[in-house]
Amino acid sequence: MSTVQGQAIFRDVPEPKRVGLRQKVWNSRFDYLYVAPAIIVMLIVIGYPIYYTIELSFFNTPASLALSAKQFNGLDNYVTILTSPIFWKVTWQTVVWTVVSTFFAFMIGLGAALALHREFVGRGFLRAILLIPWVVSAVAASYVWKWLYHSDFGAISAMLTQVGLVDKPINFIDNTSTSLYALIVVNVWKEFSFAMIMLMAGLQTVPDTLLRAAQVDGANPWQRFWHVTFPHLRGVSMVTLLLLAVQNFNSFIIPWIMTGGGPAGSSDIWITHIYQLAFGRQRWGVASAYAVILFIVMMVLGYFYVRALTKGDDARAAT
Amino acid sequence: MHTSRHREKRARRLLGLSVAALSAASMVASTATVTYAQSVDLSKWSPEYVKSIAGTKQFDAAKDCGAVVPNDYTGSVSYWYTGPFEADPAIAHEQDKAFWEAFKVAYPNITTDVQSITYNELLDKFRTSLLGNSAPAVIRLQILGGVEFAAKGYLQPLKPEDVGYTAADFWPGALKSVTYEGVSYGLPTNNETMAMIWNAKVFKDAGLDPENPPATWDDVVTYSKTINEKLGIPGYGLVAKQNAGNTPFRFMPQMWAYGGGALDEASAEPGYKDVWINNAGSKAALQAAYQMYAVDKSVPTSALTNTQGENQAPFIAGKLGMMIAHPAEYAKMTDLASKATGADKAAADEVVANMRYGLIPAGPDGKRAVVFGGSNIHVVKPEFVQGGKVDEQAVKALICFWDSPEWSTKLAWVGSNPGNINGFLTDAMKERLDTIKFLDVTTSMLPNGIPFPVIPQAPEIMNIIVPDMLQNALTGNMTVDQAADDAATKVQAIVDGGGGI
Repeated sequence: MSTVQGQAIFRDVPEPKRVGLRQKVWNSRFDYLYVAPAIIVMLIVIGYPIYYTIELSFFNTPASLALSAKQFNGLDNYVTILTSPIFWKVTWQTVVWTVVSTFFAFMIGLGAALALHREFVGRGFLRAILLIPWVVSAVAASYVWKWLYHSDFGAISAMLTQVGLVDKPINFIDNTSTSLYALIVVNVWKEFSFAMIMLMAGLQTVPDTLLRAAQVDGANPWQRFWHVTFPHLRGVSMVTLLLLAVQNFNSFIIPWIMTGGGPAGSSDIWITHIYQLAFGRQRWGVASAYAVILFIVMMVLGYFYVRALTKGDDARAAT
Repeated sequence: MHTSRHREKRARRLLGLSVAALSAASMVASTATVTYAQSVDLSKWSPEYVKSIAGTKQFDAAKDCGAVVPNDYTGSVSYWYTGPFEADPAIAHEQDKAFWEAFKVAYPNITTDVQSITYNELLDKFRTSLLGNSAPAVIRLQILGGVEFAAKGYLQPLKPEDVGYTAADFWPGALKSVTYEGVSYGLPTNNETMAMIWNAKVFKDAGLDPENPPATWDDVVTYSKTINEKLGIPGYGLVAKQNAGNTPFRFMPQMWAYGGGALDEASAEPGYKDVWINNAGSKAALQAAYQMYAVDKSVPTSALTNTQGENQAPFIAGKLGMMIAHPAEYAKMTDLASKATGADKAAADEVVANMRYGLIPAGPDGKRAVVFGGSNIHVVKPEFVQGGKVDEQAVKALICFWDSPEWSTKLAWVGSNPGNINGFLTDAMKERLDTIKFLDVTTSMLPNGIPFPVIPQAPEIMNIIVPDMLQNALTGNMTVDQAADDAATKVQAIVDGGGGI
């Protein structure tokens, strides 16, 4: 009886309707309305400049002509850039700057996060101290470091001379072989706190029970880190590395203030080079094409960043 | 034959009549001209001459400009310039305030819309306003700022006669700086040149003549080496930073003195087509800089990242022998000394007491040159001005008043000199000479002033290519010859309208 009744009930349930895209949009109309102001502002302050930069990248803009009299030159600006040895030199320097800065900022940040994750007296104070580089304005930090490094009166050289380690000031930033690496040190100092904060947040998600279980099973500290802690940090590490990489590709303040890309272009990276082309040399067309190339690289990185950020979303949605 | 002679006669008569008519027309025009040209004899220019003519003539700006634009004229004018800011001395603020009060008294019915914009922001803000057709009617720009806008068609032609003056009232070099393709697009408001500044005590301690600067650039190399060897401090404050105006202002005089240049700007009739940056003179100047930086190591190692600002601290500490600097450098050093404390104060006071100004060194052939600095005033075309109109009479009144001998002098009180050379005759000039130490030296360099090439590519050549050339040579990235030739290729490319990255 009950079975029959049950069958009758199931037979009455209507088939779920497939919702069309238009219906989905209509159902979410208020959501779109809420984000509309932000989208409009973005279109104005981001969308239009991007469009204009792309348009300008196909024009020659000689110093003797007004911008409105720009001359269409197709892909010439892109060809000029991609066939210039200076572009490839600057690209290599940008890669070195980004990879080395990102790697060391992440590793030092990870070390600091692991150290500060343990309970000890003064942990809060140390955490605050280590946050200082991230909080300090990049402009102020660059000027301070410029004087620390100064090739004639720098504080670092003075200290090393006083303790007898060197007999004359070290040429950190007025030297073509060392300038980029001297700037990378400053950049790592400025950025490692960011990695530290991100990874400290990630460490909170590592279940204590797993660590204890591993300890009971006889795992040593390295094994506990590698097999228990690190897998839990993989997501946050990916996001941190991508954010650092994007930030470093876009770096401007530290190299611009400390060396202006010099000496002899030895610390020029993409953004400083683009800035100089646009504002120092008024070569808007070429600078725009350069910016478009950088934009494409950034979009690729952005894609991976979003993928890393939303990796679990699909799986969660399926359950 | 007869017919042709007759035609010739008729042509001559016509020419004669035309000349007479033109003369008459110019006389009519000159009734509105403030005629005091040629009262300053540029051929006698020297510190003594500058002192002797100061305070010898009185001018009345309101009356003189009233002859150009009636004092009861009703109109309006908008104006952007770099006025005095917080860090400027009180006298600069007082003179600026006094100017606007005097203009209001002279032209009570002209309303002014004035914006004072910092030096670093003015060009970019002006560029932006032009794109949006919201520029001011009148703008005062740094000496080379105007050529870019003249070339791009934003400025109206403007010559001295338009506001009641003549070409003889201004430095020829200054007029050159506002002339683009034969047309004048502005008037000089103030002009200055730099000088060689040295610490007499450092010179004495190094066994050099404490009261005389190095006479030639070759002497600069020798003096710098001597100071460095004897005292262990940098001798000459070389500046070679990329993308910084300080670098060409100090290196170009050296290039010109050796017979070089970026283009032919140092020649009597520059055409700005010939590239001189890799000629023998330019290479000799570059070699001298290389000698000091890379061989003798007698200049600051930090020269590659230094601007002139970074030379001030070692100079006031007695750790730098000599440098090229602005007329206002003495005031700056006095200010720094007044802020020092303890032992530093005594050392700084000693440096100020031992500070000396001299002429920029000459080249091997006795050629002396210095960058002609200053500012010019320009009028924007109506279509780019807010509201689409330019009140021509109000504009003329403002420019005439600003460029009058009296106000041209007072408004340049601290760091420059009057653009209108009749300003050197005024009481204000006498007061300046009496109160500003070494002003006579810096003013006496004006006849040696050479403006940077008056072409829109000049900022790129001066601020990018010249410093790049220096850095390539000084770091050993290239040899002196290679660096000069590389720079020549780049200059030629951008003069031809191209250029890589």
